Amino acid sequence: MGKEFVYDQGAFRSLLEDLLFTYASEQGKQWLDGKLGQYAAQFVKSQFNATFSAIPRFVGKQVITLSTQEAEKLDALVPGFSALPLSIDRLARTWWILQVPTNNEDQYITTIEPLFLAAEMNELVTLYRALPLLAFPSHWTHLTSEGIRSNIASVQDAVMLQNPYPASYLNENAWNQLVLKAIFTNKPVHQIIGLDERANASLALVLSDYAHERWAAGRTVDPMLWRLVGPFINEKNLPDITRVLQAENNVEREAAALACAAADYPPAKTLLQQSNLAQAVENGSLTWNTVASRLI
Amino acid sequence: MCCSHQLSEKDLQPITAQAGWQENIKGMRFFDPHVHMTARTTDDYQAMADAGVVAIIEPAFWLGQPRTGVDTFRDYYASLVGWERFRSSQFGIKHYCTIGLNSKEANNEKLAEQVMEILPLFIYKEGVVGIGEIGFDDQTALEEKYYRAQLELAKEANLPVQIHTPHRDKKKGTQRSMDIAIEHGLDPAMVIVDHNNEETVKEVLDRGFWAAFTIYPFTKMGNERMVEVVKQYGSKGIMINSAADWGISDPLAVPKTAALMKAHNISIQDIELVTYQNAITAFAQSGQIDVADFDAVKNIDQSLDYNGSRVLRGGQQPRIAKDSIFIR
Repeated sequence: MGKEFVYDQGAFRSLLEDLLFTYASEQGKQWLDGKLGQYAAQFVKSQFNATFSAIPRFVGKQVITLSTQEAEKLDALVPGFSALPLSIDRLARTWWILQVPTNNEDQYITTIEPLFLAAEMNELVTLYRALPLLAFPSHWTHLTSEGIRSNIASVQDAVMLQNPYPASYLNENAWNQLVLKAIFTNKPVHQIIGLDERANASLALVLSDYAHERWAAGRTVDPMLWRLVGPFINEKNLPDITRVLQAENNVEREAAALACAAADYPPAKTLLQQSNLAQAVENGSLTWNTVASRLI
Repeated sequence: MCCSHQLSEKDLQPITAQAGWQENIKGMRFFDPHVHMTARTTDDYQAMADAGVVAIIEPAFWLGQPRTGVDTFRDYYASLVGWERFRSSQFGIKHYCTIGLNSKEANNEKLAEQVMEILPLFIYKEGVVGIGEIGFDDQTALEEKYYRAQLELAKEANLPVQIHTPHRDKKKGTQRSMDIAIEHGLDPAMVIVDHNNEETVKEVLDRGFWAAFTIYPFTKMGNERMVEVVKQYGSKGIMINSAADWGISDPLAVPKTAALMKAHNISIQDIELVTYQNAITAFAQSGQIDVADFDAVKNIDQSLDYNGSRVLRGGQQPRIAKDSIFIR
């Protein structure tokens, strides 16, 4: 397993330090400083764990509103990091886990992994948001799948949305579970990083089955689902797209048009040309982003 | 924990409800400082929210089935600060917990040692408002050993202690619990003595401890008796809870008792102290209770909304029509 960080760890850490310096109270900073001193002098795992848990007690938990410049700097290093609400405890906890030395893989993993196992809700959110920051990146796929299985909405969001880790490291099955669960739990699917890049034929197949189930139950289907089916339209699912293109709801018709535009299958192209949305797709006034903005 | 008394024909007959009690307490807010929601259904959460319960404390306790490994303890504690907290938030109820090794399972020494090792992992977590529920069950030497060890832990972490007092030999068990707490140098104002009755309350209050009463059918307090206790002792230092769990118990015990107190002309101020404020005052000594959070959790949809996107919309549970034959 490679241990290299896939981002500039030094730059990210010092950026976090700058933010803590800006947003933490004097008292909170002193407490963190003291803990870092103890930690540097001698590593005691129970101390490390207690500090991780106790951070909100001493540093607070207020929500931070970053300046555009600060958010851009963070996201330039780790895409999406600033996207979900950021609080002072999450900054401090993220900074704290970045202190763990990476010279011994086994020690690194046995320090970080138990944090997941004993985590409360906010800790889980912090840990899952930190997935792209951890060393030995391929080790964390199992825990990522556990996070996707979670029924806690904020934890699901932390793993699924604006997080570059899953697209880079999950295998196809695990990735497909993530997307399915996101659709199933009404997430804003367009916020999944790598959504189009990791679209695949078996996911498209499962999703059209899922749409059929919803229709049979008299329930609605997230129009964004067709974004993942589009590149894999074939003679089998063409009737689905045809149906959606005739839906009563505008946004559903728009999604079907965009799906047709992404297809390799000529009859889908023909279908699009026959619809009155062809021009909007052509001139770029209709995109998945405009569909997404209508769904919110 | 129910049904130890002799059943008569009368006990088996349907009970006529005193309709309209909820009207009596409309607009009041309640804090139930002892309720085991892990053992309850979503219907209970909804009913509690409807009756005005805004926040609760779930003490760590015995699950009915003895645990055989430390991992199940860890998962239980993690669920108290994780899954159950989320479940509660879906109904707009702020969920806190106390963490501890219960007295029954303290008798499994080998396991108790392992549990003591993992407790520090949990007691500093957000929303952990005390060490509890700990104390005596059979009053064995091992129960005493781990009760003492956990008092030390509470002292070190500066956390309140929630004491479970035994069903059998209650009066002596309660006295002994207090004596030992004093011996370990705990401030009585940091200790909540639970499951009091008419026999124990006076000494508990006189010694400066908080006196909690559990309104629980058959084995603990009934709420008509509770009304009499408040008439006699007032509201200072007294709080009530439901301790609702997997036995026949009532998660609405706190609002129901408030309604009954009101019907018996106990003042609104006294009712508020006993059903809301005293518990907050006692457990807020942990530094973990902010009453502003009671409102925040009600607005989970809005408060976690971010830049107008659906991100983190935790989602309150949609209502279903309970009396409809249709399930959709």
